[in-house]
Amino acid sequence: MTSAGLSRRRFLRNASLAGLGAIGSSSFLAACATSANSGPVKQAAGAVTVQSNLSSPEAKKAIEALAQAFGAKGGATATVNTVASETFRTQLPSYLTAATPPDTYTWYPGSLLSGYARKGLLLDVGDVWQTMGDYSAAFRALSGDGAGHQVFIPTSYYWWGFFYRKSNFAKWGVRPPTNWSEFLALCETLKSKGIAPIGLGAGGNTPWTASAWFDYLNIRINGAPFHRELLAGKQRFDDPRVKKIFDPWRQALPYFDPNGTAIAFQDATTVLLQGRTGMVLTGTFFADAAPKDALDDLDFFQFPILDPAVPVAEEGPTDGFFASARTPHVAEVKEWFKYVATAEAQELYIKNSSGTVLPTNPSAKDNGTPLVQKGRKLLTEAKEITQFFNRDSSDALQPTADAALIRFIQKPNELDSILSDWQTAAQKVWQS
Amino acid sequence: MAVLTAKRPDTAFPAAKRRRRRISPVLLAFVLVPLVVEGFWVFWPALQGFYLALTNWDGVSAPTFVGLGNFAEMFSDDIFKTAALDTVIWLVLFGGLSAVGGLALATLLQKERRGVGFYRAALFTPVVFSLVATSLIWQVIYQPDGVVNKLLGAIGLGSWQHAWLADPKTALYAVLVPALWRQLGYVMVLYLAGLKGIDPALYEAAKLDGATAWQQFRNVTWPQLRSVNSVVLSVIIIDSLRSFDVIWSMTKGGPYHSSEVLSTYMYATAFQSLRLGYASALAVVIFVLAFGVIVTYLVRAFREDS
Repeated sequence: MTSAGLSRRRFLRNASLAGLGAIGSSSFLAACATSANSGPVKQAAGAVTVQSNLSSPEAKKAIEALAQAFGAKGGATATVNTVASETFRTQLPSYLTAATPPDTYTWYPGSLLSGYARKGLLLDVGDVWQTMGDYSAAFRALSGDGAGHQVFIPTSYYWWGFFYRKSNFAKWGVRPPTNWSEFLALCETLKSKGIAPIGLGAGGNTPWTASAWFDYLNIRINGAPFHRELLAGKQRFDDPRVKKIFDPWRQALPYFDPNGTAIAFQDATTVLLQGRTGMVLTGTFFADAAPKDALDDLDFFQFPILDPAVPVAEEGPTDGFFASARTPHVAEVKEWFKYVATAEAQELYIKNSSGTVLPTNPSAKDNGTPLVQKGRKLLTEAKEITQFFNRDSSDALQPTADAALIRFIQKPNELDSILSDWQTAAQKVWQS
Repeated sequence: MAVLTAKRPDTAFPAAKRRRRRISPVLLAFVLVPLVVEGFWVFWPALQGFYLALTNWDGVSAPTFVGLGNFAEMFSDDIFKTAALDTVIWLVLFGGLSAVGGLALATLLQKERRGVGFYRAALFTPVVFSLVATSLIWQVIYQPDGVVNKLLGAIGLGSWQHAWLADPKTALYAVLVPALWRQLGYVMVLYLAGLKGIDPALYEAAKLDGATAWQQFRNVTWPQLRSVNSVVLSVIIIDSLRSFDVIWSMTKGGPYHSSEVLSTYMYATAFQSLRLGYASALAVVIFVLAFGVIVTYLVRAFREDS
């Protein structure tokens, strides 16, 4: 009785979500985003449904191959349901509170996940972790909900850095810098050759890529622990320590591509590959948008150290799966999780994707290119790993960062009001 | 027009009364079933939306009641002020230009001349496209190395070249252009239909009296278009308040809220910040604005009529 009443209330709440869309804007996008609440979620009997936001062609192909191999093993089967990542993100609360939710989801660890875990919406997968003994303690800690339960299965991770084309650097006669002043000198050289030294793809639908600069400057100057506290709402954005990190950024600003806030990162990738910009601070996912023949020509260097006293931290975002607590297929879901955690499955995934991600299983092989090995070394040698702005904070906080950072890039002189506006906006998110 | 003919049933009412006892069950079902469906899927959620406006809700846990707190917050919310101001600018420019332009085009293309069908079709074509697809195309046009900047460069106005969507000064107006581009054709068709409905005898009489083209427009066309005007006004206000897709897919209200209107702010608050209570309050404001303006106009229109 009570559970029926509960699910009815939940249903009505979801229906009223649809109503919210209907009142203000019955337009196409909103209608799409809300109307799906009411429709039943596609669910094949017996098969584990994998709700996936991996919609880039390479990644989609890879996860579908993974599901196929899982089915071919005998036992349970899995069906992949790929959803555009923006829709996926906005629908996640509805998925998880639905009476018949999809079983498993692609996602990443972070505050959003532990928030759902606290509300009892996520499946405890501690017994799957029992079979994953050789996984590093860092991944284990990352996959916890902060209350002693494991709710996440990490399958891959990647790194960030300044990516450039080796052939272009050779042509321009420049070398990767090893510290901040060399970095600025490199920018000056490139600028004198008529090249925009620092590419950026913070326009269009990817303003979040600008947060990489904020993250790196903050972990280089204030260190990873302060960075995490700041993003968790325990420090303030208008703190003098935060203000300080914009000084080196201001030094680098004249070297930014003036179109950086007008183009999306896919276009910034093209511009980089064409040699119109010198380098781009990006994660390896940008390689999905690069032609295969350019992949071998790519190299990267670490974000320069600004204060040698601060323990070196790097961004190493981790991806993987979690499951709904309401899944009717608990045994099958855990079988799927055990499978995706194996070295065999992760190697299969890497082989079918663009190959620039690293497997989380310590005995799984990466794709072995010098680039990937260098990336792996970067993360192994780091004292601290951060995930990325939205992962260390929340997706709700990300737009506040986008507004602040794009405004800083365009109007660096308004820094004081930018930071106080940012703090105001962030407080509303933290308090809600 | 349909609105104004609605008076006629007054006279037909006694007939309906006589027949009332014999309403067939099928007819009743045709009326009641859609009413129930509409009530459940539209009115009930809308009422829930009003309730949610009085709560704090993250979409997952139970909403907590905060009274009018969400509405009070709007007064100190700078982004809300920007969005409200932009909505007014949008309403005036989008509504005004599409009404004036649509009427101008309709008067131009009203007379049957050779090839006029082609122009009408060409102007109406943008209405057929999905606004999201339209926006994606315009996004490419506005790119730093897109068509607009190339054209400016070619005609020697290189200094005017601009990152149109990335500059907070131009973003809102850059988004306005494709929205107008589409709406013009729509309003034109509404006015064309209205112009077709005007009795040509009126113009003949006016001509006999020696009326100039302007006098004909002022004293024949305009008064005759009054019913269409109320439709156009409603359409324009509703369309400009719900102009969401075109803005969201081109700028997402950015850069830093410079092209934010109430509808994009509502969506961002609901589905990015997950503050569904405050977003519902914004939705209520949008609803009151749209409903208020339209009802005021319609009431006035009816009063003048009777």
